[in-house]
Amino acid sequence: MTDEELEKLAQRLGARAAERLDVEATAQAVVDRLRAERAKGEPVGVWLPRQWLRIAAALVIAVGGGALALRVTRTHETTAPVTTAGADLDGLSTDQLNQVLHAVEQPAGQNVVSAQDVSLDDLNTVELRALLESLEG
Amino acid sequence: MLPAEPLAAVPTDAALIAAWQGGDEQAAAELVRRHARALARFLGTGASGGDTDVDDLVQETFIRAFRALGQFRGQCRFRTWLMTIGGNVLKDAYRRVRRTRVVPLADDLRATDGDPHEHAVAAEMEARLADGLERLPRMQREVFLLRAQQGLEYEEIAAALGTTPGAARVHFHHAVKRLKENLA
Repeated sequence: MTDEELEKLAQRLGARAAERLDVEATAQAVVDRLRAERAKGEPVGVWLPRQWLRIAAALVIAVGGGALALRVTRTHETTAPVTTAGADLDGLSTDQLNQVLHAVEQPAGQNVVSAQDVSLDDLNTVELRALLESLEG
Repeated sequence: MLPAEPLAAVPTDAALIAAWQGGDEQAAAELVRRHARALARFLGTGASGGDTDVDDLVQETFIRAFRALGQFRGQCRFRTWLMTIGGNVLKDAYRRVRRTRVVPLADDLRATDGDPHEHAVAAEMEARLADGLERLPRMQREVFLLRAQQGLEYEEIAAALGTTPGAARVHFHHAVKRLKENLA
C-alpha cells in the first residue's frame, strides 16, 4: 500500500460519519447544553491564567489580612476609652477608677492608650462630663 | 448582465468567538455549523468499529472547546484547535471502548447495493486502519489524522500539538509505517 492509498483510506474512514452527522441538530444540542451551563452559573469560555489566579488570591489575602489587622489595632487602641466612656463611671470602684486614671496618664510612646490617643471628639456631652467628674474625683 | 451583488461579509471564527463570549448564542451555533463535519471526519475515524456515536463525540468536543475558549490564543486555526480537543475526547472514548468492547457489524457489510465482496474488503481495510490508529501513540495518531485527513501543514500541526514541525514529520512517518504494517 502506498502513502497515498493509506491517506485516501483514512479520509474515507471518517467520511461516512461526517455525512451522517446532523449538523443543525448538533448545533442546537451544543447551544442548549451551553445555555444550561450558563444558567447554572458555571463559567463557560472564561479562563484566567493560573498566574492571575495566584495574584488574585494573594491580593485577597493581603487586603483581607490588612483589614483584619487594622480592625484588631483599632479595637486595641479604643478599648480603654470606650470602656471608660461607655460604662457607667458611677458603678466603678475606686481601684477601677485609679486604673482608668493610670491608663490616661501613661506617657506617649508606650504601647498603651494615652490621653492623646483617646478620641474625645467621639464622646458626647454626657460622657465627657462623666469623664471629667471621674477625673476630678 | 446584472452587476454582481457584494458578498455578505462572512464573520471570521475570531469574530464569532468574540460574539459568543459576549453572550451571542447564535455565534456558537454558527461555529458548530462551520466545523462540525470536519470534526466528525476526524472523530469518525477513531469511532469506526467502536460503539461510540460520532454525534456525541462532536457534541462533547464542542462543549469542551467552548468551556476552554479562553485558552485559545490563535496559536493555530480554530478548527485545528478543535481537533486537538477532539483528540482528548477520542482518547476518553477509546478508554471506554476498551472497557466494553463490542464490535458491531460494519455498515458496509450490511449494504445490499454494489459488489458485496468489494464492500466487505473495503470494510475490512477500514476496520483494520481504525484498529491500527487506536493502537498508535496519541501523538502519532493525531499527527497522522491532521496531516492525512485534514491536509494540514506540519507547521500548523506542530503549533496545535505543541511540538516542532520536524518532530511532527517524524511522528507522521512512524505512524504511516506502523499503519502499513497493520494493514499488510
